[in-house]
Amino acid sequence: MPEYVYAIVEPSNRPGEHPGIAGARLRLVKDGDVAALVSPLHDMEPQLGRDELLVHASVLEAALTRGTVLPMRFGTVMEDGDAVRARLLRANARSLKQELDRLKGKVELRIRAVYDQESLLREIVRGDGEIARLRKELKGAPSDATYYDQIRLGELVAEAIERRREMDAHELVDALSPVASAVDVAQAPHERVALNASFLVERKRVPEFDAKLEHIAKEQAARLRVKYTGPLPPHSFVELHEVS
Amino acid sequence: MATTAATRSGGGYVQRSGPSGLYEILDLILDKGLVIDVFVRVSLVGIELLTIDARIVIASVDTYLRFAEAVNRLDLGTAEGEGLPELVEDVTSDGAQSKTKGILEGAKESLFGSGDDEDEDEDSGNSGGSGSSSSRRSSSGRSSRSGQSSRSRSRSGSGSGSRSGSASRGRQS
Repeated sequence: MPEYVYAIVEPSNRPGEHPGIAGARLRLVKDGDVAALVSPLHDMEPQLGRDELLVHASVLEAALTRGTVLPMRFGTVMEDGDAVRARLLRANARSLKQELDRLKGKVELRIRAVYDQESLLREIVRGDGEIARLRKELKGAPSDATYYDQIRLGELVAEAIERRREMDAHELVDALSPVASAVDVAQAPHERVALNASFLVERKRVPEFDAKLEHIAKEQAARLRVKYTGPLPPHSFVELHEVS
Repeated sequence: MATTAATRSGGGYVQRSGPSGLYEILDLILDKGLVIDVFVRVSLVGIELLTIDARIVIASVDTYLRFAEAVNRLDLGTAEGEGLPELVEDVTSDGAQSKTKGILEGAKESLFGSGDDEDEDEDSGNSGGSGSSSSRRSSSGRSSRSGQSSRSRSRSGSGSGSRSGSASRGRQS
């Protein structure tokens, strides 16, 4: 029977009653020092959508409370338990064990800082002489007569936003990095996102991280909204090294 | 559909959501994590509809004009020594504030094809926004990546595949 694979965990990480995809029972496939958290599927090519995504996330969340979790990418299916044991666990045994050890006791914290739109634009107009001047010039002038100047103004604003984002992202990462083991800066989904990043943090240092972030968020409250998701399994930090 | 974003209580300045705040971790679940070998199949149906990944700052005349309009309508206020006549005029002349609000949002909506984006999410303080995420559009290369995911990944070996997402996801600013 095909198996959906959620994550690599320690063999001691026994799943509870938490249901898997399609309500199937979760179980561990073990081999030596490593185990895979799986649940059976009826079909080798299942329809995986939003519901399954949520189940995947909640299964990982539950497993993370019991130990170290190396998340598989969403949608990983193998033909049966033997394949999981042989091709996944045994074939990558050393590498998986190394990752379990390396990431033991560490969690991923996801941070997104989003500008308040008006504050951002205000900052930019106040902080840039040319933008302020151009804006003033264009004030009240008929817009068809100033078409190219309007474009120029917009271009300057876009550039200024970009510079500010880069600066703010840098500062945020610098401020939080000392508490983290690693940082992964992701692409910002839109221009008001100053920072979209994941931090790998030791569990025992999470309160320290929280406090630091809270401090920053307080300082920046007038211009940035900080959103925090976690603790998560280390999605952004797990990697397998070539095994021969 | 229960989105299970558990709101953690905190100091109040940081908006916290639990691990299942789907929107926040969508890209992690879809793009990150271990990819093992050619025997592992990844079958995704309709997931590309969930992915949101776009660069909004696109060098186009339209974008620039929207930015220009946004700053032109900006209410600079008088609180921080902005006593200049023309700025005061701003405040009184065109009721700018509500209009300004919409400008950049507008840019975003046109790209996502829907107003249902994370800002709803952020404003409401829960992950309800993801409740209707099937209406989201993917407007960039991500969708093609998801497309590729729909069948066997033919990664050779088990090496760098697990980080393939992040390599291309550095800040391209």
